[in-house]
Amino acid sequence: MRQFRSMVYPYVLWIAIMIVVPMLMILLYAFTKEGNSVTTFRFTLENFGRFFRDAVFLDVLKRSLVIAVFTTVVCVLLGYPIAYVIASGPEKSSVFWILMITIPTWINMLVRTYAWVGILQDDGLLNHLLGLLGIGPFHIMYTTFAVVLGMVYNFIPFMILQIHTSLAKMDKSLLEAANDLGANRLQTFLRVTLPLSLPGVLSGITLVFLPAVSSFFIPKLLGGGQYVLIGNVIETQFLTSGDWNFGSAISLIMAIIIMLSMYLTRKVDTDPAANGRRE
Amino acid sequence: MKKILAMILAMTVVLAGCGGGTSAEDAVEKYGSDTLKLYNWGEYMGENLIKNFEKEFGVKVILEYFDSNEMMYTKLQAGDAYDVLVPSDYMIERLMAEDMLQELDLSKIPNLSNLAEGVKGLPYDPENQYSVPYFWGSVGIVYNHENVDPAVVEAQGYEILRNTDYKGKIYVYDSERDSFMMAFKALGYSMNTENEDEIQAAYQWLLDMNNTMEPVYVTDEVIDGMITGTKDIAVVYSGDATTILEENEDMSFWMPMEGTNLWSDAMVIPANAENPLLAHEFINYVLTYDASMENSSYVGYASSNQQVLDELSGEGGLFAENEAYLPRAGYAKDEVFEDNPVLKKKLAELWIKVKAAK
Repeated sequence: MRQFRSMVYPYVLWIAIMIVVPMLMILLYAFTKEGNSVTTFRFTLENFGRFFRDAVFLDVLKRSLVIAVFTTVVCVLLGYPIAYVIASGPEKSSVFWILMITIPTWINMLVRTYAWVGILQDDGLLNHLLGLLGIGPFHIMYTTFAVVLGMVYNFIPFMILQIHTSLAKMDKSLLEAANDLGANRLQTFLRVTLPLSLPGVLSGITLVFLPAVSSFFIPKLLGGGQYVLIGNVIETQFLTSGDWNFGSAISLIMAIIIMLSMYLTRKVDTDPAANGRRE
Repeated sequence: MKKILAMILAMTVVLAGCGGGTSAEDAVEKYGSDTLKLYNWGEYMGENLIKNFEKEFGVKVILEYFDSNEMMYTKLQAGDAYDVLVPSDYMIERLMAEDMLQELDLSKIPNLSNLAEGVKGLPYDPENQYSVPYFWGSVGIVYNHENVDPAVVEAQGYEILRNTDYKGKIYVYDSERDSFMMAFKALGYSMNTENEDEIQAAYQWLLDMNNTMEPVYVTDEVIDGMITGTKDIAVVYSGDATTILEENEDMSFWMPMEGTNLWSDAMVIPANAENPLLAHEFINYVLTYDASMENSSYVGYASSNQQVLDELSGEGGLFAENEAYLPRAGYAKDEVFEDNPVLKKKLAELWIKVKAAK
């Protein structure tokens, strides 16, 4: 193995340039502000103060977290049964279904979200179909429902794939063993299948929660700009007001929140009690 | 005779298998390169403009689109090099102040004489030292005259956006510049005001609108939304209004008497442009009758070419019946946006607070 060691260096260099340097720049921007004629920048905590002093930004943060948690819960509740059904079918059909779930993700997210605008708008596809049945029309666009729908739609593949992977690699003989020892199907599921698939659920949660909490174009397109989330605030700081310092500070706050939530999920993951393994 | 010779030459080149019009080799010889990098707004050029330009000059155009001046500015600042940009008035002012533009060689742009009266001597660059107008216009109210009484629109102006009779029926343009413009104008202030009381009053005006009217904040989606008649009232750019009025005959356009933003987008050559010679050629080309006609008749924005403007808006013209096409000129309450980074930052923050308020 030793002779391959030097092959790691390009990778380390790549990481340094592409990940570490931008992170350091965000850090630098977050703690500085434009300077005067003597220095180009000054260190300050003002950017953070500005965020935490303002009820509006805290409301936005709260709203983003609520929507992201809600999206994640919906993704688990919908994604788990789907993954379970796919995993318990014959292998050929599960390959097919996994492909069907993956295919949409080959298309750009923005395009797919735009498609939802056409489906959901007042004279869109959905209302036309409902109209044929004599129901509607409903106002769906520009509501919380539309935003959550857009997020669930975009992020649920990550959940399904994660859960499916952990279900598929589960040793099927364990189920037979549970059966032999007299467990009924519900007990088998609760005591064997669920605990063993929990790592998949947890990584699914991380993969859904992260993009959901920082998404900015889904609320923009489907929420009509009325559902300002923290991602929109960050986007505005960089693209519109050009206040990179404040934008970086908010990004950093988000990064800390995300790291905290990842730490917590990992803790649940490694904690045997929470993992359902009973002694 | 020279022309014929040139044509024969060009023909031989074509026969030699180099593709239509003038050849790439000619372009390289004449301009130093055969590629032009153009950074323009989306949906902002005639269908065949680029194709025709490429054919006529034997060059290749690399196109990129932006959807806000700020986005363009951010990319420019990051060091991306383009040959021609088409920013708006206040952004040109900023780029000039920051030495990010090249001075134009007007001898290479003889078609400048075609410039429309309405875009001559613009305050940010009266002598066209750095910029050549591309499109111009105003901002006004598009409304559905089947559902909204024209008399009410004309009497209330921007104030109609706080008239709860039309709650849930309005689109508001999602940019701090345009929304604060309408609030400032509705309150009778200058849209370039720095007066803190006036800014707070405008903020309250917008907050009130946000909290009582259920507005939907959009950018370019407003065009489709109004064409399909999803909402009844929208504040839009005159060029977009032209398109909306063409497509949906229930829609009318009103230029509020409280005044509006007279804006212009102009072509500039950034300081780090790699190919300024070809950039000059492109700017000159856009001002020709054919190219301007192609642009304006396709996009619906007011042309910077006087002859095209006259023909399209005059009797029998494509937009003769369209009240949105020709911008209002010489109205005292209309203003041009000035670049003011401090004010802009402040308004941007207030605007996100307006939208975030529930």
